[in-house]
Amino acid sequence: MRKSTICNLLLLFVLIPGTLFLGTQLSGRWYYLTSTMMIVEVMIPFFLAFETRRPQARELVTLAVMCALAVASRVVMLIPNFKPMTAIVMISGIALGAQSGFVCGAVGAFASNFFFSQGPWTPWQMMAYGFAGFLAGGLFHKRFPLRNPAALAVWGFFTIVLVIGPLLDCCTVFTVSSRITWKYALAVFTAGFAYNVQHGIACAVTLLLFSRPLLSKLERLKTKYGMMDAG
Amino acid sequence: MRYDAFSKCHPLTNFLFFLGAIGFCVVIQHPMYLAAGAVGAGGYYLLLKGRDGWKRIAGLVPVFVVIAGLNPLLNTYGERLLFTVFGRPYTLEALYYGMAVAGMFVVMILWFGCYSMVLTSDKFVCLFGSLIPALSLLLVMVLRMIPNLARKGKQIADARTCIGKGVTGANSAKEKIAGGMQVLSALTDWALEGSIITADAMRCRGYGTAKRTSFRIYRMTTRDWALIGAMGVLAAGVLLAGGTGATFTPELWIASPTWGLAAYGVFLLIPTLLYLQEAVQWHISISGI
Repeated sequence: MRKSTICNLLLLFVLIPGTLFLGTQLSGRWYYLTSTMMIVEVMIPFFLAFETRRPQARELVTLAVMCALAVASRVVMLIPNFKPMTAIVMISGIALGAQSGFVCGAVGAFASNFFFSQGPWTPWQMMAYGFAGFLAGGLFHKRFPLRNPAALAVWGFFTIVLVIGPLLDCCTVFTVSSRITWKYALAVFTAGFAYNVQHGIACAVTLLLFSRPLLSKLERLKTKYGMMDAG
Repeated sequence: MRYDAFSKCHPLTNFLFFLGAIGFCVVIQHPMYLAAGAVGAGGYYLLLKGRDGWKRIAGLVPVFVVIAGLNPLLNTYGERLLFTVFGRPYTLEALYYGMAVAGMFVVMILWFGCYSMVLTSDKFVCLFGSLIPALSLLLVMVLRMIPNLARKGKQIADARTCIGKGVTGANSAKEKIAGGMQVLSALTDWALEGSIITADAMRCRGYGTAKRTSFRIYRMTTRDWALIGAMGVLAAGVLLAGGTGATFTPELWIASPTWGLAAYGVFLLIPTLLYLQEAVQWHISISGI
């Protein structure tokens, strides 16, 4: 068995249940630590897969450029509260594949926090943005006919409002609530809903305007240099 | 950021300290431990930031009030009733609990603020570079490319101005957006083509042919080992001494503090003490001249 497989199995069957068990056994406020450790443990297999594949230089640098574009779109906010980062992560996932999409989102979230501030939200943002790239890659990477900007925009909007936004709000639930109840979680999700809709609209607009030009640039690059044929 | 002795320590020392400080902060909800955390985090934050730090700390006060005040609305357990909101009880215990959670949040934000200033990206890469080589290389390239993209974007915009295609205040919104899109398109093309050239150059220089070595500017000194040892002993003290428990709802109960609190206080003051030691030494050496 490969080393990474053993590592993944260990994570899945020992570490994650162990964390969950410990979290329920200890008295006191362990919600944040337990939930964050879970998030980190869930991310490890993705990173491990990327590391053990030993990505080629061309793939690595192209990914870095897409990641840098995503970070720049978050850091250089041209219009207030307009965050196109998720959309660019999604486009990277669509063009380069689910795994690269995840890495682009997670590293992008981590890198952009060097410009703002690392905080309790960092692991959650890494997971949420990474997952956005992963989902987009899984759905659209091999399916060219589905890459219609309007369809992508609608899909992006609903993914953010229903999946990515609540995932980010989970961080708030685990950080600032005194008792974790469904009622409290629901209150936080409701409070975050307007914000998530705003985020979703930003993502949809960006996908509508930029998905075609960006995707065609990436496709051209792949054809011109014959890269990533295997992946 | 000012000169700070703790920032000059090995990244591992920095990392372990923040792991301990933030880890204890999110788990222990005893009010006296919380107060110790606030003093440690606030003091070090102000040392690092100087006078600007007060602004950030003042900005955290409303956050504290909101989190503390909202908690009793959702957590209705507790015995001492203050008043009722929409027929739901608003209790003193829940308010105390809210204050504890809000305090924890604020202290955590302050610690992370210090973390961001102390554990910079180069230190992170130094720590994890050999563990995750591809990802840390990716991180370094991303961080390097941001200023690069900004500079190139300005060059492209300037070049367009030279040929009379620049965007000024006189243009309509539509023209501005179209101009911005053109710059962005050119920038993306340039960056993507550049990535292939960079990658080919990397391959020519043997990227991926052998295990990568890395340049390390940080070395573990005797002081680092001593600090890590001291942190280990103090953290063990906090864990073993106990007396960190506190429950707020439904009934207020706070454990009486033990000497673990003193260990916790010393642990949190490590960076501040290092800073002061350096300052005193500097003062003595100046007056010696």
